[in-house]
Amino acid sequence: MNARLSLAATHAPGEPSDEEQKARLAALLLELARCVDPSVAATLPSRLEADPRLDAMRRVLLERERVALAQLQEKFDDPKQLADAVGSVLPAAFALAAAQDDRLGLAISPTVERATQASIQKNPGRMVDILYPVMGPAIRKAIAETLEGSLQSLNQALKHSLSWRGLKWRIEAWRTGSSFAEVVLKHTAVFRVDHVFLIHRKTGLLLAHVARDDATTRDPQLVSAMLSAIQDFVRDSFDESASGGTSSGGIDSLRLGDLLLWCEEGPSAFLAAVIHGTPPAMLRTRLGETLGSVHDQWRGALEEFSGDTTPFEAAQPLLRLCLLSQAAETHRKVSPLMWLIPLLLLGALGWWVGQRIIERRHVDAYVSSLQDQPGIVVMNAERRDGKWLVSGLRDPLAAQPEALLAKTDLDPARIVGRWEPYQALHPAIVLKRLQATLDPPPTVILAQDASGIRASGNAPQRWMEKARAFVQTLPAGAPKVDLSALKDVQDPDYLRLRDAIQAQLIHFDFSMPRPAADQETKLDTVAGYMRELVQVARDQGFPVKVTIVGHADATGKDTSNLALSVGRAEVVRSMLRARGVDPSVLAVRGAGPLEPLRPGASEDELSMNRRVSFGVSTGD
Amino acid sequence: MLQKKICLLGAFGVGKTSLVRRFVDTIFSDAYLTTVGVKIDKKLLTVGSEQMALILWDIAGEDDIAAVRVSYLRGAAGYLLVIDGTRPETLDTAVSIQGRVDAEIGSVPFVALLNKADLEEDWTISMERIAQLEAAGWQFRRTSAKTGAAVEETFQELAALLAR
Repeated sequence: MNARLSLAATHAPGEPSDEEQKARLAALLLELARCVDPSVAATLPSRLEADPRLDAMRRVLLERERVALAQLQEKFDDPKQLADAVGSVLPAAFALAAAQDDRLGLAISPTVERATQASIQKNPGRMVDILYPVMGPAIRKAIAETLEGSLQSLNQALKHSLSWRGLKWRIEAWRTGSSFAEVVLKHTAVFRVDHVFLIHRKTGLLLAHVARDDATTRDPQLVSAMLSAIQDFVRDSFDESASGGTSSGGIDSLRLGDLLLWCEEGPSAFLAAVIHGTPPAMLRTRLGETLGSVHDQWRGALEEFSGDTTPFEAAQPLLRLCLLSQAAETHRKVSPLMWLIPLLLLGALGWWVGQRIIERRHVDAYVSSLQDQPGIVVMNAERRDGKWLVSGLRDPLAAQPEALLAKTDLDPARIVGRWEPYQALHPAIVLKRLQATLDPPPTVILAQDASGIRASGNAPQRWMEKARAFVQTLPAGAPKVDLSALKDVQDPDYLRLRDAIQAQLIHFDFSMPRPAADQETKLDTVAGYMRELVQVARDQGFPVKVTIVGHADATGKDTSNLALSVGRAEVVRSMLRARGVDPSVLAVRGAGPLEPLRPGASEDELSMNRRVSFGVSTGD
Repeated sequence: MLQKKICLLGAFGVGKTSLVRRFVDTIFSDAYLTTVGVKIDKKLLTVGSEQMALILWDIAGEDDIAAVRVSYLRGAAGYLLVIDGTRPETLDTAVSIQGRVDAEIGSVPFVALLNKADLEEDWTISMERIAQLEAAGWQFRRTSAKTGAAVEETFQELAALLAR
């Protein structure tokens, strides 16, 4: 307005004919301007003083405006009227300003905060009343969830506190330093999140879907739309928002047997988790956090969503974090094959026991067959390290246990014998011992009878002597050995040589100690026999003795005759010795005239008595 | 993949469900229609070079008692209006539904299906009225649940409309 006025002022002098008129008009307009904007009065000179008519004209011309201005002025000056005026336009002004941008909100938020603060300080009860409809359900929900969780753990704690498993868990809690409740929860909160659907709230279209690898799913797009429809259905049918519930409404959780559906709603999308079992409250928190992150990261994409799900593929890793699970540690379903294992084990056990019983029987039979044997005493038979150990006493002359074992069905490798040697007095063994020790000639028969052992047949004298000597050494209590029925028999060579030697007589001349000259041949013959006899005795192992007996005739004194007879015997011994006869078998005896061949006193008879005779015997 | 929510609307007994049954994949039984009032089917199509999944919300037929739940319409990218050619009143219902849908979710593409085309000689519907509606921007297709005529093509057309 100023500019236009100044323009008028500058053009005025350019038209001299109406200059006066224009100047006046300009002044008038200036005055008008002053009425509209009083500040103009300060900068421009007033013409009122210059021309009083102007004032009158102004009053005539501007009567109505003056009244309106006065009213306006009055409104501005009176606070009550001003407040009325502003108050009537304020809501509209706020609405307009808020529609343009956020500046109004930013500008008034500190004031609102201060006001709220002041109000709470002044009267907290009022604020509680205001917030109750919002906070009440939220608090109730939180308490209910907490109670549900703690009831669940309480139930489990009661169930498990007295069992063997409970004891184990108490030990685990003590060992790991955590509370018993934590340990119980860890082992029993069995659940598994099978599917997580991220669903666009407005269209019910599936934005993203993740599933556990082993979870079966039917068409997730259809499932998500149906879920969305059911949510709408529930929301409409029960009109939860109207009855004072939270504004989100809809299904929060839905349980069908073991299957549980949890929905977490956000402004643009909701998460639906399909869960088996009873999940902990922590899962609900995780769903809420995930949904929050999705809204944060895909805010634009969610708002502009028109069916293209490509941007939400990137949300899958985030959703995957919700596929939590807690495996059950027990109650695994036993497959039919698992039943086969104990059956097989039972069968194997039965077979093994059967084998052991059969083996035991065989061992018992073997042991009793051993017990039946003379000279074997079984003290013990036991299983050790998979083998049977049979131990006891055994006379070395008794039957061989191995031979008996071979007759049984037992595996010889599984039987170990341990035998202490001893000497048995059983007649059968004594018989064996006699036979082993005495080596009887074939003509001797040793047999066992009721009273003991009886020998029959005939045997050489020396064997009989050996047998008698051995029988003497048998310990007391041994069976009686009867040798009385044995007949003595001599070696035929011995008998022949004995008879040959004893048939020989060496003759002497009267009173001569040396044999007659013609006796040399006889001496040679006798010596030959004797050498042979010694050899036979040595071969056969029996002692032999040849007694050289000197004789004298009955003439002369007896004493000299005795000495002569001894002398003759000694001479013959020397002569036999000289002929190679072992002197140790030769003995001498003088008989004097006391053993005459002929009792007469004729020369022939006397000559017959002057002789040396030979006696052969066995033994010492 | 591109997904679109499509509603299947129409008066009670016009044959919506049987019309699409042969052309769609579903995992839900018809019991949902009577209990929840909606049943979800899916139709996979190829538009240009891209796969498109039409998620069909088969919404229970409208009669005097049960009005269509408007919350089921939310977020629909388009819809099919089914009319029984032998029952003129179903066209009125369709017009009324169209008006309500328009008010509820705004102007979205739709195709009106004149069903029971196999009984065309029995039709009592006013062709004049059809012409008026066509002039007002309606697109009509003659379909038959019995023969399956034009159903596949209608889906394809609707998909093309939505892909634009």
